[in-house]
Amino acid sequence: MNKAAVLLVALLGTFAMPSQAVEGRAQIAKKKVSMCIGCHGIPGYKISFPEVYHVPKLGGQHADYIVAALKAYKTGERQHPTMNGIAASLSEQDMADIAAYYAGKKK
Amino acid sequence: MKRYLKFGIMLMAMSAALPALAGNAAKGKEKSATCVACHGADGNSSLATFPRLAGQHEDYLVQSLNAYKSGKRKNEVMKGIVAPLSKEDMADLAAYFASQRGLEIKR
Repeated sequence: MNKAAVLLVALLGTFAMPSQAVEGRAQIAKKKVSMCIGCHGIPGYKISFPEVYHVPKLGGQHADYIVAALKAYKTGERQHPTMNGIAASLSEQDMADIAAYYAGKKK
Repeated sequence: MKRYLKFGIMLMAMSAALPALAGNAAKGKEKSATCVACHGADGNSSLATFPRLAGQHEDYLVQSLNAYKSGKRKNEVMKGIVAPLSKEDMADLAAYFASQRGLEIKR
């Protein structure tokens, strides 16, 4: 293989996007968000322990950010009693689907 | 007379406690230069790494900033950014981003 070919392959490699581990499916997520709606879907709903504040709005948030947050809750890197419990029950596919739903994806 | 005096003092004490909590969105906008670099001009970020802040609940934003400051929520970048912010700064920034159009409550 000549030098130019090797260089071309290397160059293409640097632009390679990391492949999506799991594709989120917003339509399917409609069946999965019943756990979420109870807090995140009710206007004015507040967490009352240990501090009082509004449960964050999710509608329109970046899908990948939601997935990252759910993963952080699952590993315990991010601490919140309710979310730690909920995230523990979610698979990667669940997380991707739920995230796609809240991000506002059509599919 | 005594009753009115007691009531008057109580009222004064209560009103002294309030101003610290309310943020000023206009001041928040002036202070947001550091934030918009990652989170977008009005809090509508383009990269999923940085969550959308626009339209998020004001008290949730304050709670998040406090959590980054105390280390309860772990993020080296945010920890550094929040370090120089006073309670008033955080309240103002939260008021600014909360008043922008973006996130919504999704059922």
